[in-house]
Amino acid sequence: MSAPTRSEYRTVIVGAGVIGLYTAYYLARAGAGPILVVDRGFLSSGASGRNGGGVRQQWETRATVRLARESVGAYRRFARDFGVNPWFRQSGYVFLAENGAELERLRRVHDIVASEGLPSEILDSSRVARLVPGIAPEAAVGGTYLSTDGTLYPFPVVWGLYEAVRAMGTEVLLGAEALGVRSTDGHLTGVATTKGTVATSTCVNAAGGWSRDFSERAGLTVANAPTRHEILATEPLKPFLDPMVVRARDGLYFSQTMRGEIVGGLSPPSQNPATSAMSSSPAFLARMAGALVRILPSLASVGVLRAWSGLYDDTPDGLPVLGEDSHLGGFIHANGFGGHGMMLAPSSTARVARMILGERVDLDPDEFGPQRFDGGQPSHATEALQLG
Amino acid sequence: MTNRSDGGRQLPILQRSIRYHRPRAPFCGVGYCTNCLVRTDQRLNVRACREGFPTRGVRATSHAWPSPQHDLLGVLDLLFPRGIDTLRGFRRPAWAVPAYQRIVRRLAGYDNPDSVASPPSSGPPRTRSVDVLVIGYGTSGAAAVDELKARGIDAIAVLDRNGAEGDGTMPGRTTAVFLPPPTRNAPYPFRVLASEGSERAVLVSARKVIVAAGGYDASLLFPGNDRPGVMTADGAFSFERDGIEPFLRAVVFGGGDRARKVVEKLGDRVVAVVAPGEVGPDLARAASDRGIPLYPRSLVLGARGRSRVRSIRIRARSFGPRQTLGADALVLAHRRIPHPQLFFQAGARMVWRPRVGAYLPAVDAHGATTVPGLYAVGSAAGAVDLDSSRASGRAAARAVAEGAEPGVDVTRSSPPEPPNEMQGYYRELLAEPEGFAKWIACPCEDVLLRELRRANEDGYRGIEVIKRYTGLGTGLCQGRYCVPDAVLLLSIWEGRSPPEVGYITQRPPVVPTTLGQLATLETPLSDPEAP
Ligand SMILES: Cc1cc2nc3c(=O)[nH]c(=O)nc-3n(C[C@H](O)[C@H](O)[C@H](O)COP(=O)(O)OP(=O)(O)OC[C@H]3O[C@@H](n4cnc5c(N)ncnc54)[C@H](O)[C@@H]3O)c2cc1C
Ligand code: FES
Repeated sequence: MSAPTRSEYRTVIVGAGVIGLYTAYYLARAGAGPILVVDRGFLSSGASGRNGGGVRQQWETRATVRLARESVGAYRRFARDFGVNPWFRQSGYVFLAENGAELERLRRVHDIVASEGLPSEILDSSRVARLVPGIAPEAAVGGTYLSTDGTLYPFPVVWGLYEAVRAMGTEVLLGAEALGVRSTDGHLTGVATTKGTVATSTCVNAAGGWSRDFSERAGLTVANAPTRHEILATEPLKPFLDPMVVRARDGLYFSQTMRGEIVGGLSPPSQNPATSAMSSSPAFLARMAGALVRILPSLASVGVLRAWSGLYDDTPDGLPVLGEDSHLGGFIHANGFGGHGMMLAPSSTARVARMILGERVDLDPDEFGPQRFDGGQPSHATEALQLG
Repeated sequence: MTNRSDGGRQLPILQRSIRYHRPRAPFCGVGYCTNCLVRTDQRLNVRACREGFPTRGVRATSHAWPSPQHDLLGVLDLLFPRGIDTLRGFRRPAWAVPAYQRIVRRLAGYDNPDSVASPPSSGPPRTRSVDVLVIGYGTSGAAAVDELKARGIDAIAVLDRNGAEGDGTMPGRTTAVFLPPPTRNAPYPFRVLASEGSERAVLVSARKVIVAAGGYDASLLFPGNDRPGVMTADGAFSFERDGIEPFLRAVVFGGGDRARKVVEKLGDRVVAVVAPGEVGPDLARAASDRGIPLYPRSLVLGARGRSRVRSIRIRARSFGPRQTLGADALVLAHRRIPHPQLFFQAGARMVWRPRVGAYLPAVDAHGATTVPGLYAVGSAAGAVDLDSSRASGRAAARAVAEGAEPGVDVTRSSPPEPPNEMQGYYRELLAEPEGFAKWIACPCEDVLLRELRRANEDGYRGIEVIKRYTGLGTGLCQGRYCVPDAVLLLSIWEGRSPPEVGYITQRPPVVPTTLGQLATLETPLSDPEAP
């Protein structure tokens, strides 16, 4: 397909990552077509094809714990529902505390997670050593563990959604860039793309790390800020590490995939403004290697196979932006997922779809709505566990 | 670990393939492929071919059980003649999924880090700051070095994977060329990372870099292309170098100079020369001098034999007759691919060259690329013979010495060229009624040709997507032995040109570099201003 087949769509979605495709999936399933998804890149070229595949439910804000818990349910069913297997493996997440203060902080998270009915556990250093075999004694005084957290392969999630939405008649146009929107009286009337302009009353901004850019093209001011994050993978090893491991201090994370590779990343020391180049830096390779070897000394003899990077779409409070823009009717935000769009996609996009269909949703607009940043700092609690 | 039972032929089976546990013998001879992956007391995933095929101190990885020669898991290959579908399989019944996951996971990976008895503590990195770094000490690299010295430039470093302290070169496989973020008048705009064995990292800061890294022998697609005994010319030469005689009757595939070199080196152990196109006059002479029959314009239809090649089936092109050649090896010498990795990675502009069937850096008359200070010479830049290699090395050295401003004209489109002969070759081969049984499109990851075909039929387009869909190109050789041919196949199936099919992003490190080595660079590399 090289151009939209129609001149008008009920909904146009910008971005064919996991957020855009999942939103399309719920809308199509509700019969709310015709839908057009445009993406200027190839399938999985954005963060949805560049992430660590971590799915956790340990959060400091209750609403996020609930969204994540619902996503875990969706990913457990994903292989059966979509016919493509993302190998979602619930082998837990371990958060490491290096000192008493960090352990206190994790304990607060544990209390919230446990009170939501999830089997969160506090770990002493010997439990940590059993869950993370070979860990250096000084790497953790303790931590938390949630056995039902897990990891998956991101690509099959994208393929499964892509095939499902196309089977329901949704058009997915790759290599088509959204240039801006048309509007009358503060209401959206169309979307302009490099493959022509189409009429629509609803446009979803699911452009991930480029969501700020697309909002600006629509004449809107937003608080989203893209940042570049790097990640590496090693040679495949025999399985020895089950859970995803996250260091509470700085969010360094790593896990061993189904294929046996150690995949992990580390946030940049200072803010890393997005550059168009999604390349790897020498400093990251060295910092990440140094950190990994200090945590698991036996990894010193393991080769790094490749390193890459992608964009986090960060927000000031660490929570996504979900809902209609208050300045442009019909312009729906489904972005600002930071480093957590994979794990929050199934549940949060279900709500975005319901909002588009005019149904009520159980999200507090002061916590997730786009207008929360309008008057400077938001009033509600921020998500402190923006790690990993 | 050498199999001497077979009439004096010493073809070692050192590894099994990752998914189907097919027997594998050394293939590439230059340390990229996975076929000779072994372990020593200090190191994981060592390439035996880089260590002179030692029999002392190396052990099989724990991947095969009980040993690579007799691996009971080889039954997987027989149980799944059409392959294992990990993308769509293992979904039902729900209660069995955790068990599937445990089994599949246990089968993954080569070795456990704990299996290394005494991991070396990586020594401090070897660091140098120089005016000019030359990467690769072959014909063109040596010519560049001589010319630089003749012009009084002495602050030179030479990195070569076979380098030795004695000959003035630094041993090390270059794994990345980094350009630090633009800083004011950075004295050393390039930082080049290399690994010396697995023990030591090498970090060279340079004002200018001349890449003379050459190329490597391509692999070939046909059913049984991963059988022990199928190897590249470099693979055959590596056995020669180490005094191992792994075959007695080799078929050489190729019609040009590379094939001639194989014929000259292996002499009476070559039983036939099969070429995808016409046979060059020098090769024809070398073959007829030795009474070796030639099969020009022919397809390799398949290799028979499980634990080693017993015969090669060929067919003259344009639906000519089929023939079976008794042979215990097939040596691939049909095409050399210039190493593109370092140029891609440094951000130089690359140009698809149809005739070569590969990407080459866009260069000016001195070999300057679009990255100021980065030069490409020799076959890495497309030189086809010794004289032009030498000349390109000297020209780059002169430009560096004289401080010539590069003048790459990127707007100039290259003159039209005929497509690489392998494109037509594969078009014809795929029309064969052989089906796609187990053609291994990516030997490192055991990705089958049928999986590529399926991805194409399911509507996935472009090599970047196919890579993510099938896993092709994600193995230890970093795609060197699968991506070039996959691009040609996809271009046939997608009905568009190879550049439209794309190329996979070349990510650092371009050869595996241990975490231990990288960790020693934490201080020097985290400071973008440091030399
Ligand atoms: C290194 C890294 C590690 C991560 N690890 C995890 C993790 O472990 N767990 C987790 O849950 N999350 C993780 N994330 C975050 C997660 O990947 C993202 O939040 C998620 O993929 C976002 O999905 P998306 O669909 O919004 O964005 P993307 O997948 O980036 O999709 C956006 C798409 O929009 C397209 N686009 C942009 N602008 C335009 C335009 N104007 N016109 C047309 N198309 C346009 C882009 O081409 C892109 O394909 C990680 C991210 C990174 C970078
Ligand atoms: S053959 Fe090595 S990655 Fe494909």
